[in-house]
Amino acid sequence: MIGRRGFLVGAGVGVLAVSVPLPALAAGEWEPNVLLRLDSAGGITLTLPRPETGQGVRTVAAMLAAEELAVDVADLRFVQAPGDTQRYGPQSIGGSRSVQQMTVPVRTAAATARCLLVAAAARRWGVPVETCHARDGAVHHRRHGRLRYADLVDDAAAIDPATIEVTLIPRPRWRVLGGRGGRIDARDIVTGRARYGIDVRVPDRRVAAVLRPPWIGARLDTVDDSAVTGVEAVVRLDPATGVQGGVAVIATSTAAALRGRAALRATWTGGTPNADSRAWLDQLAAAVPAPEPFAHTATYRLPLLAHAPMEPMNATAHVRPDGATLWMPTQDPGGHRDRVAAFLGVDRAAVRVEPTLSGGAFGRRFETDFVMEAVVCSRAVGKPVQVVWTRDDDTRHDSYRPMSVHRLSAEVDGSGLPVRRAHDVATWPLSIFPAMPPDLVRLIGDQFPYTVPGDVRIALLPAPLRTGFWRAVYAGQFVYAEECFLGELARRARADQVDFRLRLLGESRLRPVLAAAGERLRPRRGRVRAAACALDYGSACAIVVEADRTGTPTRVVAAVDVGTTLHPSGLRAQVEGCVLDAVSTVFGAQVTVRDGAVVESSFRDYAWARIDQAPDIEVLAVDSGAPIGGLGELAYPPAAAALATAWSMARGEPVTGMPVNRPVG
Amino acid sequence: MYRLRVNGRDSALDVPGDTPLLWALRDDLGLTGVKYGCGVGACGACTSLVDGQAARPCVRTVEECADSDVTTIEGLGGDHPVQRAWVDLDVAQCGYCQPGQIMAAVALLAEDPDPDDAAIDRALRDNVCRCGTYPRIRAAVRRAARIARGGVA
Ligand code: FES
Ligand code: FES
Repeated sequence: MIGRRGFLVGAGVGVLAVSVPLPALAAGEWEPNVLLRLDSAGGITLTLPRPETGQGVRTVAAMLAAEELAVDVADLRFVQAPGDTQRYGPQSIGGSRSVQQMTVPVRTAAATARCLLVAAAARRWGVPVETCHARDGAVHHRRHGRLRYADLVDDAAAIDPATIEVTLIPRPRWRVLGGRGGRIDARDIVTGRARYGIDVRVPDRRVAAVLRPPWIGARLDTVDDSAVTGVEAVVRLDPATGVQGGVAVIATSTAAALRGRAALRATWTGGTPNADSRAWLDQLAAAVPAPEPFAHTATYRLPLLAHAPMEPMNATAHVRPDGATLWMPTQDPGGHRDRVAAFLGVDRAAVRVEPTLSGGAFGRRFETDFVMEAVVCSRAVGKPVQVVWTRDDDTRHDSYRPMSVHRLSAEVDGSGLPVRRAHDVATWPLSIFPAMPPDLVRLIGDQFPYTVPGDVRIALLPAPLRTGFWRAVYAGQFVYAEECFLGELARRARADQVDFRLRLLGESRLRPVLAAAGERLRPRRGRVRAAACALDYGSACAIVVEADRTGTPTRVVAAVDVGTTLHPSGLRAQVEGCVLDAVSTVFGAQVTVRDGAVVESSFRDYAWARIDQAPDIEVLAVDSGAPIGGLGELAYPPAAAALATAWSMARGEPVTGMPVNRPVG
Repeated sequence: MYRLRVNGRDSALDVPGDTPLLWALRDDLGLTGVKYGCGVGACGACTSLVDGQAARPCVRTVEECADSDVTTIEGLGGDHPVQRAWVDLDVAQCGYCQPGQIMAAVALLAEDPDPDDAAIDRALRDNVCRCGTYPRIRAAVRRAARIARGGVA
């Protein structure tokens, strides 16, 4: 049971604060809070506070609301909230926090509405509230029958929420949460009706293609557009405005903008035309802190990775003298709104950000560069401009996952188990925090769940190119190295990878999770079995991988404990996605820099996994009942480490980095 | 002016002949279900049917496709066995690659109504899904084949 409004607001549930100004309502409409609107025609509209990027967050919001309103997901209509964190609370999607942060506010919002409807019916009938209950969009009473929500809207709107008690539906009575529900946008996706940022079509839309620096850090010197025809404007993009710099060609169609861009001639200066990612890796290797290592050591070299979301970067902006409207896939609608407002020098109320569906993000759509390009272009021509990045632009002008070199060492006991450990790392900070303290990197990255005392020392060198959040920020590097090393120690001790870890786990929440995965995927003749764990984002995950003699994964079992599984299909999807990210990055995908520029330019050379590389994946939900934890990134680091370890066991050679099967960097 | 039949309708395109079919479909005919993923034929996001065969409109020009019959995701009708299977198995994550995956699966099933996993992997090998929905895609193609045979209620 949860308490009254005062308590809810005090608990940070800003969405229920009645001080938030509500839009004027027509007669017969009721907004119990900023997320819900019910009308006397029976319509229930849920405003989805956070954007969708494929992680299923909108579907979870819908399920939470349907559960507490005692209706089906199919009975709800949806509106995507514009960027407005003052009104909707936190809206950014990252750090695997969305569901964690959204669950209480959305459930509470919907439960409040239900309890008010029940109270309204009870008053109408003159019976105690406890004798009424909500089901299938109506309030029921044994003797009085039923009253539909539609007929109770006006009465419910007249009740002060502070005067009623709000109760949540307890887990044993859930009908929707934990059930089979699929994605709310599934039909739109399979029919092509789903609208992503690149599909935004507003009247008078112009399209911009941008000629970008040919090497890292290059600045535009001269530009000659005399050969460019059939375009509306050519605009220089000044890096001081928050963009990466370049020349935008603005036309009435994408094809015309791209044709115009191809006809531009430009010269560039500055930057690092000789940069080479192999040299960067060597510099990092030389910078690894070097205290006395323990007897057993191993070094891991990790590459640059691009986000490469399937939908390349894009944004549409319409800048008017009095403000702006933007439509785009974004992981940070409120933050983008604030930054655009600051740039234009207007009040944030004058900027409207409409998040669209997003064709993947993986951390990339926190950045502001692509948004500012649209703003600068629209301001220049006074019309709505959609900036569209080509795949080549997207791959070569990303904010990459930092490279890193890890030296692990351990002192082991008579059975080969580590009793002391050391992890020395050299890497780069993220570009948005150039002064990032090493302690912060350690806090994010070092998620070592085993009972082995030790030290982690980190040296940060200045990043030689743009770096950014990439699924499982720093944990993707740190946990990979730590788990690969544990796998190596187990290999040296000829121990089973699952048992080896169980002996090091103590009372950890991971123990039942790893045991469940290990039980499900038993060792078999002719196959190797590897494992790795993660305890992060308030959740626990164990991955067990089986590989054949060549080291090719044949089966993956993942067990996860997120506390309580709200959306089983979505939970499995996130883990499956992490496993495929791991297959991709362990077996080939990396970004390399030669002669100052990123070499890879599309999925042809950024070797992301294809369907024929996908192993069978089984996901077990091991709910402990702990508070709801995060999931979106959780499985990537252990999946990568388990895949690499299985490869190493099958081939009898140690892992030395990522990818395992080709030179790093 | 180029004439094409798109999703069963005659369409006239007043664009330069070397315009990639992809941009003509998306910008001129408003068929935004056809997705841009790479523009160089390397990802399959734009996969559509040209004269019944799976094709990549990003590397075909309007001129080359004049007088052809083009089917995009929008022309599939909404109740195609492949679309139904995709919804049943909740395949999509971000969904951006899925129109292309679905059209590639439609072309596969037209050739081979009962593909095994190896045939599915071969046919869909060049359709990238950055979100990693491959295990579900495989299962959904098999399910679509069963739906088409009347084996699923
Ligand atoms: S957009 Fe056509 S294959 Fe990638
Ligand atoms: S579902 Fe996102 S790329 Fe396939």
